Amino acid sequence: MRDDVAIVGIGQSEFGRYLPISQLGLGAKALQAALTDAQLERKDIDGLSLHMGWPLGADYDRMAEVYGLEVDYVHQSWTHGRFVTSSLQHAVMAVACGMAEVVACITAISFTRELSILGGPGDPEGMREQGATHGENPVYGLTSPAVGAAFALQRYMALYGATSAQLAAVPIALRKHALLSPYAVMKQPLTLEDHQSSRMVVDPLHLFDCSLITDGAAVVLLTSAERARSMPNVPVYVAGMQGVRSGRSEFIFAPPGLGINQQPASPTTPRERDLAVYGRAGIGREAIQGFYTYDAFSPLVLFALERFGFCGPGEGASWVQGGRIELGGELPVNTSGGLLSEAHVCGWNSICEMVRQLRGMAGPRQIAGAEALQWGTCWGDSVIMRR
Amino acid sequence: MDTHDAKKPLPRLTPDNRAFWEGCREHKILLPWCQYCDRPHWPPGPVCPYCFGDDLTWKQSSGRGVISSWVVVHKAWLPAFAADIPYNAVQVELEEGIRLTGNVVGASNKTLRVGLPVEVVFDDVTPEATLPRFKPR
Ligand SMILES: [Zn+2]
Repeated sequence: MRDDVAIVGIGQSEFGRYLPISQLGLGAKALQAALTDAQLERKDIDGLSLHMGWPLGADYDRMAEVYGLEVDYVHQSWTHGRFVTSSLQHAVMAVACGMAEVVACITAISFTRELSILGGPGDPEGMREQGATHGENPVYGLTSPAVGAAFALQRYMALYGATSAQLAAVPIALRKHALLSPYAVMKQPLTLEDHQSSRMVVDPLHLFDCSLITDGAAVVLLTSAERARSMPNVPVYVAGMQGVRSGRSEFIFAPPGLGINQQPASPTTPRERDLAVYGRAGIGREAIQGFYTYDAFSPLVLFALERFGFCGPGEGASWVQGGRIELGGELPVNTSGGLLSEAHVCGWNSICEMVRQLRGMAGPRQIAGAEALQWGTCWGDSVIMRR
Repeated sequence: MDTHDAKKPLPRLTPDNRAFWEGCREHKILLPWCQYCDRPHWPPGPVCPYCFGDDLTWKQSSGRGVISSWVVVHKAWLPAFAADIPYNAVQVELEEGIRLTGNVVGASNKTLRVGLPVEVVFDDVTPEATLPRFKPR
């Protein structure tokens, strides 16, 4: 399936806080923008892959009804970072398998109206049978995904001597990128002192290690590479993919081998099976010009870099120093600011940014000559895109 | 930590974890144990994750272990815990090899560290529920 499917349209709503518009309203704006971008009409869309819905907002059927869509393929994952990649991958697979010709990936979220889902009595995850999987345990007052990232970071710091001041290089880099994005919610520079003096949320996570809580929507339209070549935009090809990793070696917010929950406590990154995406894409890691990842919490960026072998186990905190992950550096990361500084649109803002980069239309953020970019998460799934 | 506030969430018992929580009421840590592999697993499940067998029993843990990671919560996500802020939570690797989540009592948050030896203590938070916690040993 290498290069069989392409992204031909992207669209975003405005990103902000306490926006007066509904989730479906934000989604409609992003969909209209994507259709305009691709020069397609609503009737051209015959597939949906939603990264939204219960327990946050409308499901696919209500969306299709409200938007006046008629589709023959639907995939839906709930609004959860772990499902961003698979939502994109289901769209690719649907096109590659001939189940749909044009699939719209849609996410729309009003986090500022749905704060309780991110922790607290309204957190339905923690009290499920078997509990939740970011370390939540309400019996001990643990209720937000933040606690899982904090457990992982604390152990990482203890094992490898990494420091919070080193970690600050991640949010500082992404803030620099956000200042170049017209869509970004954050408009002020972030200094090391700002980071270190910001309040603790869950020790060792400072405020600026945690993603923004924002409202916004993003849409990505995919079709066959063949059709894409006759469309107006430079096609962005899906070169290779690999799925989410799961098993007793995994904790969602830690690299394999860190020893969180029941993970073995011996570092194993990079594992051969986590490098499959490079072979499938026919693009080696050394050819990746920018890395995009789910940065809900700043340590997740380190863990993703280590999982894919950009650096060794425990080396992430020192590897990101000196501007290495900033625009102009060796491996720019999340060049529009990510969840930490552009907006929390469940990662789709970064996927839209990858498409802009590969079209050569990222303006002041442009990676010169961008031909191959990687999306990869600390839980191991990945999509490599090329122009 | 005020451990006797009934509004704090209580454990949710399931067919798979009921024996663990009933053990806590008797002030014992019971671990699900595969009789074929002769090893425990966590979390409790319907089968052994190593051999997929269902010949499981429950064996008592020493209750001793070391902190494998810890956090201190500073945000009042749960109103019932607001008065406890900043409060800690830990993952403890028991001598039997599995890791439990709990919290440390009887020690300052400043003394927490990865590798700190701890042992279980039991807190009868309601007539129906007892929570395992840990103290330095
Ligand atoms: Zn077994």
